[in-house]
Amino acid sequence: MDVPAKLPDPVPSPILRHSPSSGSAMSRSLRSVVDMPSVTFAADMRSDSTRGAESTASSFESFRRAGSRPVPGVARLPTRRSASERAGSQRDLRDEDARFVYINDAARTNAPPARFPDNSVRTTKYSVLTFIPRNLYEQFHRVAYVYFLILAALNQVPQLGVFSPVASVLPLAFVLGVTAVKDAYEDWRRHRSDKNENNRTASVMVDGVFRPKPWSDIHVGELVRVVANETLPCDMVLVSTSDPTGVAYSNLKTRYAKQETLTTPPEQLAGAAVIRCERPNRNIYGFTANLELEGGESRRIPLGPSNIVLRGCELKNTAWAVGVVVYAGRETKAMLNNAGAPSKRSRLETQMNRETLFLSAILVALCSVVAALSGVWLRNHEHDLELAQFFHKKDYVSDDGNGNYNYYGIAAQIVFAFLMAVIVFQIMIPISLYISMELVRLGQAYFMIRDTNLYDASSDTRFQCRSLNINEDLGQVRCVFSDKTGTLTQNKMEFRCASIEGVDYSDIARQQPVGEGDRIWVPKKMPVSVDREIVELLRNGGETEQGRHAREFFLALATCNTIVPLILDGPDPKRKIIDYQGESPDEQALVSAAAAYGFVLVERTSGHIVIDVLGEKQRFDVLGLHEFDSDRKRMSVIIGCPDKTVKLFVKGADNSMFGVIDKTMNPDVVRATEKHLHAYSSLGLRTLVIGMRELSQEEFQEWQMAYEKASTALLGRGGLLRGVAANIERNLRLLGASGIEDKLQDGVPEAIEKLRQAGIKVWVLTGDKQETAISIGFSCKLLTREMTQIVINSNSRDSCRKSLDDAISMVNKLRSLSTDSQARVPLALVIDGNSLVYIFDTDHEDKLFEVAIACDVVLCCRVAPLQKAGIVDLIKKRTSDMTLAIGDGANDVSMIQMADVGIGISGQEGRQAVMASDFAMGQFRFLVPLLLVHGHWNYQRMGYMILYNFYRNATFVFVLFWYVLHTGFTLTTAITEWSSVLYSVIYTAVPTIVVAILDKDLGRRTLLKYPQLYGAGQREESYNLRLFIFFMIDSIWQSLAVFFIPYLAYRKSTIDSASLGDLWTLAVVILVNIHLAMDVIRWNWITHAAIWGSIVATLICVMVIDSIPILPGFWAIYKVMGTGLFWALLLAVIVVGMVPHFVAKAIREHFLPNDIQIAREMEKSQDSHDVTHPEVQMNTMARA
Amino acid sequence: MGGDESYSKFTQQELPACKPILTPKWVVSVFFLVGIIFVPVGVVSLLAARDVVEIVDRYDDACVPANMTDNKLAYIQNPNISKDCTRTLTITEDMKQPIFVYYQLDNFYQNHRRYVKSRNDGQLRDAAKANQTSACEPEKTTADGKPIVPCGLIAWSLFNDTYSFTRGNENLTVDKKDISWKSDREHKFGKNVYPSNFQNGLLKGGGTLDPAIPLSEQEDLIVWMRTAALPTFRKLYGRIYVDLKKNDTITVRLSNNYNTYNFGGKKKLVLSTATWLGGKNDFLGFAYVIVGGLCFFLAFAFTLLYFIKPRKLGDHNYLSWNRHPAGR
Repeated sequence: MDVPAKLPDPVPSPILRHSPSSGSAMSRSLRSVVDMPSVTFAADMRSDSTRGAESTASSFESFRRAGSRPVPGVARLPTRRSASERAGSQRDLRDEDARFVYINDAARTNAPPARFPDNSVRTTKYSVLTFIPRNLYEQFHRVAYVYFLILAALNQVPQLGVFSPVASVLPLAFVLGVTAVKDAYEDWRRHRSDKNENNRTASVMVDGVFRPKPWSDIHVGELVRVVANETLPCDMVLVSTSDPTGVAYSNLKTRYAKQETLTTPPEQLAGAAVIRCERPNRNIYGFTANLELEGGESRRIPLGPSNIVLRGCELKNTAWAVGVVVYAGRETKAMLNNAGAPSKRSRLETQMNRETLFLSAILVALCSVVAALSGVWLRNHEHDLELAQFFHKKDYVSDDGNGNYNYYGIAAQIVFAFLMAVIVFQIMIPISLYISMELVRLGQAYFMIRDTNLYDASSDTRFQCRSLNINEDLGQVRCVFSDKTGTLTQNKMEFRCASIEGVDYSDIARQQPVGEGDRIWVPKKMPVSVDREIVELLRNGGETEQGRHAREFFLALATCNTIVPLILDGPDPKRKIIDYQGESPDEQALVSAAAAYGFVLVERTSGHIVIDVLGEKQRFDVLGLHEFDSDRKRMSVIIGCPDKTVKLFVKGADNSMFGVIDKTMNPDVVRATEKHLHAYSSLGLRTLVIGMRELSQEEFQEWQMAYEKASTALLGRGGLLRGVAANIERNLRLLGASGIEDKLQDGVPEAIEKLRQAGIKVWVLTGDKQETAISIGFSCKLLTREMTQIVINSNSRDSCRKSLDDAISMVNKLRSLSTDSQARVPLALVIDGNSLVYIFDTDHEDKLFEVAIACDVVLCCRVAPLQKAGIVDLIKKRTSDMTLAIGDGANDVSMIQMADVGIGISGQEGRQAVMASDFAMGQFRFLVPLLLVHGHWNYQRMGYMILYNFYRNATFVFVLFWYVLHTGFTLTTAITEWSSVLYSVIYTAVPTIVVAILDKDLGRRTLLKYPQLYGAGQREESYNLRLFIFFMIDSIWQSLAVFFIPYLAYRKSTIDSASLGDLWTLAVVILVNIHLAMDVIRWNWITHAAIWGSIVATLICVMVIDSIPILPGFWAIYKVMGTGLFWALLLAVIVVGMVPHFVAKAIREHFLPNDIQIAREMEKSQDSHDVTHPEVQMNTMARA
Repeated sequence: MGGDESYSKFTQQELPACKPILTPKWVVSVFFLVGIIFVPVGVVSLLAARDVVEIVDRYDDACVPANMTDNKLAYIQNPNISKDCTRTLTITEDMKQPIFVYYQLDNFYQNHRRYVKSRNDGQLRDAAKANQTSACEPEKTTADGKPIVPCGLIAWSLFNDTYSFTRGNENLTVDKKDISWKSDREHKFGKNVYPSNFQNGLLKGGGTLDPAIPLSEQEDLIVWMRTAALPTFRKLYGRIYVDLKKNDTITVRLSNNYNTYNFGGKKKLVLSTATWLGGKNDFLGFAYVIVGGLCFFLAFAFTLLYFIKPRKLGDHNYLSWNRHPAGR
């Protein structure tokens, strides 16, 4: 008898979405793919207890409804998968949807039309041949690049040829080239990792013998033998293992080989067996297949997720295992899930587009002015132009119709002037900005990843930047949505107390240390203490009623689970250490607790379990197991006891359990248990209710028939099994309830406090009960005693609307009472999933929103995964607040994808959340340095860099513009075309990138000490329209200084355009670099090198250009640098250009200081203090 | 170890760095320093500019015979009318040699796009590239297709007025050597490149060139081809190595060949001495004095402001959340 497994798909569809976006090198290497599928089917079992209370029946309803109704955030995500594919293993297998795998007969399996791919993987995007076209195609998705391409093309029209053909395409080619090199490098790394992966060897059966073969040559249908600690090369159905019962562990999850195949030598399976399985899909929790033995008797054996091991996992604690390949290469679940990082766009970038439009408007204005004036000029000089030596209108040599040379009438000339102006002034739109931003984000990611403060030593995980587009959003977050379990808490459960038959055993006074004296079996994670009274009761209670109940209670804990005990060799040969393996920390805690009280689960095979009951080993047959599902919210086992009785043990969430309790039971016990449950959850404990029923022979047989029929059914297996379970799980006798503590993660209360000081609202969304949620809220300082709680938990639409209205009037009353902000009463909203369903259904979202934003804290309990996304969306839709969602489990995926910034905790719960996240880290408390330090820096740096890029290009364009006004509006540039095109890509690009990666407005210590400084990002102080206008005014002033000072000095002189052009080039480059230098806050040697180096590089470039004899400007720079006037003008330009900026800066910093400025000064005086009093610093360091 | 440490300082973004802050002391000293530098420099350059003696004489209108002032174009286009003209200049101040002789053109767009592009620098440099006339339109080839050397509008429009000076009976020699850049003569204009087919077209743009003299020695052409940055410009004609006294009367014989009448251009003759700052231009001096003065003013203004509204640097109380305790 095996565990049938037909599981509901626990993952909402968003996880399965296909994102065509490209990932970053950091997140895409195959390594990260390989360790990915550490989650297995048993995750569902876990949800039985950890998530048992996640949602009420009605919230599940809403979950389903929400699923059918397009939830905005989910629908928004690109979904390429067909509906049938998305449904994954939830469907039942039809022939046309099935894949037939003939065991050990790869030839037949792969015979046309099947032809399954081999096991080679390719994660690279490009090949040598496709690189250039594909990379270019991808890069030209950027509108700006198309704009520059069009201009480069326009420039090739003879009438419009402003720049030489080479010069005109150079800037675009340069940025495309840099991006291409970056992409090529990333792809090369992927290629290398693919190659390593494909060349690994595995032992594969060829002609009846296992022989080593490279991974890439493995085919579907072949038998692969894997030994302990080896990595699995592909997805395989287990055929046999070293364990006589067919158990194997992959990454500590238990998998089974079927009894039927276990006994047959693998080589004999050829031709005798075929596996009919579903098509490859991404659902790593699900697998539906049948093993069809074709031998004498034709049999169908159901296969489920417990029979498959996945590529990338390692075989653990099992000497060897043989499996048949069902999915290989790119069809493995690991590869199918390697969709890459999500693609989001940062808020700053969105705002930047607005300013880009302004710049386009300025550009059009400049071009129109030039075009119009050129028309006026031509009209005024209409009769002069034929003989004017500089115009030479007529063409006397070659006759082309009108006899004019390159002159098509005023109207045409105006159009040409306009187009040429666009070409000349094109860098008004900063071409290098996009690549600069990419490089800056890469640099910022480098520092975030390497930050030791974001490194989690306990799990050896570094910070991960999966999305490289939204670094700066981290500096503007206003609202954090956090999951509770595994995010705020450790997800390390500990059994705390129990209520048995209405008697509470939670008195701390009675706790005693676990007696280890004569124990043979010692669980690895033993509870620290036990309740003396229960121990007494179990040992000496004998046949008393209460003693019997207690025993059954602990027997239920020991049996009703999917934990696999693993015997380890301890130092003491008489003592065996048991490691309880299982997906669910709650179950581990319960089984360990049972062990502490003398009910030690010692052995589990697919057919039976062995329990050491108070020193006596007993064998229990596991006759049936009903998995957890979110409809029933409970699980059950049917156990054949040594005394030949058959018992049903059930455990589940309280609301689902009380519905199936025997109505004839003593109501006092039920009431007492309910009271205890309430008390436990008020302490912040997670509760489960345990029940049982003894089955009569008839009942059992009836059940067994139904169960076998259901578990081999080909259609609707899942539903049938659920029905069978629901049918047997009734009239239960209430045994009691358990309370499990989930400890808070380190530093959570402090982190929440810091976030709150930083002006970030923290919302906690949890599946737990209201009492549990509130008590956790208190323990993590989310809720405080001064807060007024508004609780909304209604079980009908009307009452829900009423409580909402009450809440609104209360909020308004409090608001009117405390006009003076000093005495504001902090508010907390506690709302449950049921009410949320009503609210979202009846369009009272606005009211909810009104209440929610008035509250300092919002706690949502018993919410379903999609509701989490709905709540995030509520805030996102109605405010401009930046939202951040943080979670660790698959149920947080929708919320993580919905929020502006999604953060995955790479903890115990597998990698679903991480795979969907933008950033991943090990601990909740890292949120503080991430937002307050890196977020602040990233935002400040990026904001400044964008403004600066706009400013420096505009300055240059304005200088060109002033000159054009003195050339008869003919778009001549005194600055050489080479300097024009190199300006934004070489002369001034490096310093801004370096500064945007390295500059820090404030040190880490200050930012953490004063979380309020984070407000600068929330208030958009580093990038806004006002600053943009200031920068533009500055840019116009500086361009005037650059142009007119030399212009006035050289009026009526012999100055040639090349010399003047060189002076303008150098002046503008020095000016914008000094401008940057003036705004740099921290000068280290790299900054110095970049800024001064850039000026020197410009000078060298200009000198090189002027050393080419066939350019008109040959030798100009050397000539002009030899005159005193040149240097005097350069100095004058710089001083005149900088004075307004300097004055504004001096006034702003001294008379209108912002918090950052004050903090900088405090930091500075602190530094000098540290130098004079080093011992003080040591002390503060030690305290920190 | 040391390497590890500096690497970790780098990755943790804790590289040793200097964090300057714009303190009042800094602000005032910067303005003061700029003032201290700028005012004297300004005064010196003003004085230098004052020392320059410059005599400008516009002659394009004056040289047109009285009977043709209504039809200047006909005058300049008629090859039979003599273009000789005599002008008399009075020296206003003593002029120390060398005295620079410039011609100045107003409203002549030597920076017009059609014009600046119309040249081929390869051809100027290399005799083998005589046929390389790309970009020289519309003065690329003769009507029968022969390449023009030097080709292009710039060369075609070569300025061809000539001047000679006498003081009383004394002939003032104009030295026309070295009026162009040495680098141009040596590297840009070939020593073995000779003019050919030049100024043979229907429309004459300006001067002609002696086909026997290589381009590297055609200094007027070299000067002309350094196109001016602005529409009003001067070009060096030559130098006179004679000191001129105040009230000296100079007679200039010029041939007024160059046609500026069709587009309202002006022609001027300029005699000027020079200083380290170039010609007579007060702008730089004034600019320096004004900027320097402004900086002094700002220095005082800021000093005053800092006294009126002092602020203790790095004072907690100025932090916004300390100013309005429950403001957030």
